[in-house]
Amino acid sequence: MSAQPSTATRRPSRFARVPLLVWVFLLVPLVVELFWVFWPAANSFSLALTRWDGIGLAEPVGLQNFRDLAADPIFLTALQNNVIWVLGFGGLSVVGGLALAVTLNKPGPMVSLYRSAIYLPMVVSLAVSGLFWRVMYAPDGPINGTLGLLGLGQLERQWLADPAVALWAVLIAAVWRQVGYIMVLYLAGLKGTDGSLEEAAAVDGANAWQRFWRIVMPQLRGVNMVVFAVTVIDSLRTFDIVWAMTRGGPYNETQLLSTYMFQQAFTTGNLGYASAIAVVIFALAIGFIITYLARQARTED
Amino acid sequence: MSKGTITRRELLAGGMTLGAASLLAACVGTTSGGTGGGGGGTSSGLITLQNSIQDADPKAALEALVKAYPGGDVTMNSVATEQFRAQLTNYLRSGDSPEVLSWYAGSVARSYAEEGLLLDVSSLWEGDGACAGYSDALRSLSSDASGQQIFVPTSYYWWSVFYKKSAFEKWGVEPPTSWDEFHALCENLSGQGIVPLTNGLSSTPWMASGWFDYLDLRINGAQYHRELLAGEHAFNDPEVVAVMEEYKRLIPYFDKNAASYTAQEAATPVAQDKSAMYLVGAFVSGYFPEDQRDDLDFFSVPVINDSVPTAEEAPTDGFFAAARSDNQQGALDLLSYLASAESQQQYIEQSKSSNLPTSPDVDTTSFSPLVQKGIELLNSTEEITQFFNRDSSDALQATADTALTKFLAQPDSMKSILDEWQTAAEGVFAS
Repeated sequence: MSAQPSTATRRPSRFARVPLLVWVFLLVPLVVELFWVFWPAANSFSLALTRWDGIGLAEPVGLQNFRDLAADPIFLTALQNNVIWVLGFGGLSVVGGLALAVTLNKPGPMVSLYRSAIYLPMVVSLAVSGLFWRVMYAPDGPINGTLGLLGLGQLERQWLADPAVALWAVLIAAVWRQVGYIMVLYLAGLKGTDGSLEEAAAVDGANAWQRFWRIVMPQLRGVNMVVFAVTVIDSLRTFDIVWAMTRGGPYNETQLLSTYMFQQAFTTGNLGYASAIAVVIFALAIGFIITYLARQARTED
Repeated sequence: MSKGTITRRELLAGGMTLGAASLLAACVGTTSGGTGGGGGGTSSGLITLQNSIQDADPKAALEALVKAYPGGDVTMNSVATEQFRAQLTNYLRSGDSPEVLSWYAGSVARSYAEEGLLLDVSSLWEGDGACAGYSDALRSLSSDASGQQIFVPTSYYWWSVFYKKSAFEKWGVEPPTSWDEFHALCENLSGQGIVPLTNGLSSTPWMASGWFDYLDLRINGAQYHRELLAGEHAFNDPEVVAVMEEYKRLIPYFDKNAASYTAQEAATPVAQDKSAMYLVGAFVSGYFPEDQRDDLDFFSVPVINDSVPTAEEAPTDGFFAAARSDNQQGALDLLSYLASAESQQQYIEQSKSSNLPTSPDVDTTSFSPLVQKGIELLNSTEEITQFFNRDSSDALQATADTALTKFLAQPDSMKSILDEWQTAAEGVFAS
């Protein structure tokens, strides 16, 4: 990612050399995107200032929706769960993905088999993963069965119905799927690192731990940024797996902002209120990413 | 909400509708309701039947019925219930809306009628119209605030405590006739190592409202129950506390895994003779293996307070027509056809469901003994309610789901749960 200094000076002439056809190819999707994505998204900002049941006229209520949100216990639970989710889902999948990538980056027997096996859950949609894990977590399902066989019967529980563990049970399922994706991103990043640097450090007497943190990690900075953005966005937009596994239950204890937004919009028909939640999600996502990019830009200067 | 177990299609639909959310926002913004595209006038003769049927047999039955429609070609779009619910407003508001749509009678249909989105179908309810002979209860259920009919009910079903005759015989027990006997029965079964009651509250938390509705009907009566759901009483009133105290007495009898089961999964322990009874709608017969369906029987929740009129829950399904479709005559003709006694008979027989016909002219002698008994139950009861969400709204149902599932997990916090419920309900009524 560290920019090559020579290209920076040549940048202005680069724009002129882009053929017209390329601009057309870029503009057409941009127009489609603006119309079908950005304009509706912008609309949710104005809807957030209204009370609207989807049938009658939208009634402007100013910031009342946001004041209601601040006092809404379910929203606060969802917000808290989302923080747990971003940290837990992001943390576990990044640490797990990186560890797997480093482990599987060396040639060895069956390595490609392991890599494909770990990536495989990613192929299946989140909704299907959710159904699969529902079976795993069923009261008489494989997880409780295994615990019973191991003599750990006291650990058996109703994983998805017990508010103390339900969110974590869903989180494990989501990480199980995400970790393969992060691993592939890091594997690609590791392919781009310079092996001779590591060898040189080894010759200088650096141990494996030092070589990883001092030599390899700095070279992965570009991948880290991608992984960070992907993880934050994925964790804030998580919806399907929670909906498939718990629907935000038991009694709203596993509600995320996205599932609560869906429930408000489409089950109870409060589209204005749901739009206000959407605005909060947007603000959180953009806040995270801008903070990170700004920090990133500063360290690169 | 009547048969809402989670299916793959529903899930995918859920995801899709989420995607459509922003789109929907864009389409409507803050425009007035009156600007549909090219409504009225040009009759194309095409009829679209938008429906939310998902189960295989009922769907095949409706398809066969629609295919045999003599009045022209009907395009049948079957959409997953969850997505259907989310999109229903859009269907009705669009300038080119489907002619006929399946949905629920009662407060939901009425709220659409208030917005002027439903076609007046009172012509079917007069003279020799297809619905003219329907009962007065169905007529008032299908009418809007001004007394016009806007709904065509075609089938309904009943709620009761279902059990297997062979299992009761094996355990040497009889269906109870009083509330004390019911408790004695539960004690007896518990003593034999059998779980007395099952339920499925995971992705179908509204199942917790079944017992709430019935206990309220038995303790405070149907009139109070309707008023409660209309916001005229509070959920932390002493009347509701009495209902919850009675509910609390039942908690030890429920399957401890009820919170993990769906409504459909909860039927499995009954089929396996591990659990004895299930308060559920008649659609439960579809959850049992085919060779056990004749073994199913039911009894009504016994009387608790004999000073209130008897009442049963009987959710009613049917069709309404969009006011903005461009083929209103075609819609009325199709509704007429669907409401006729022959169509109902054919549909009920082919759908292998335990639905009851709304038309009094249907020959019910060929129906199963279970359905016959269901008809008798509803004919002999003094009051009929639908179900929590159908008597109120999906928004109020969400508050009930939270409160009741939480109560079942933490019965000792009942008072504070009822206070939270009331606060949430006030929010729903205020919006």
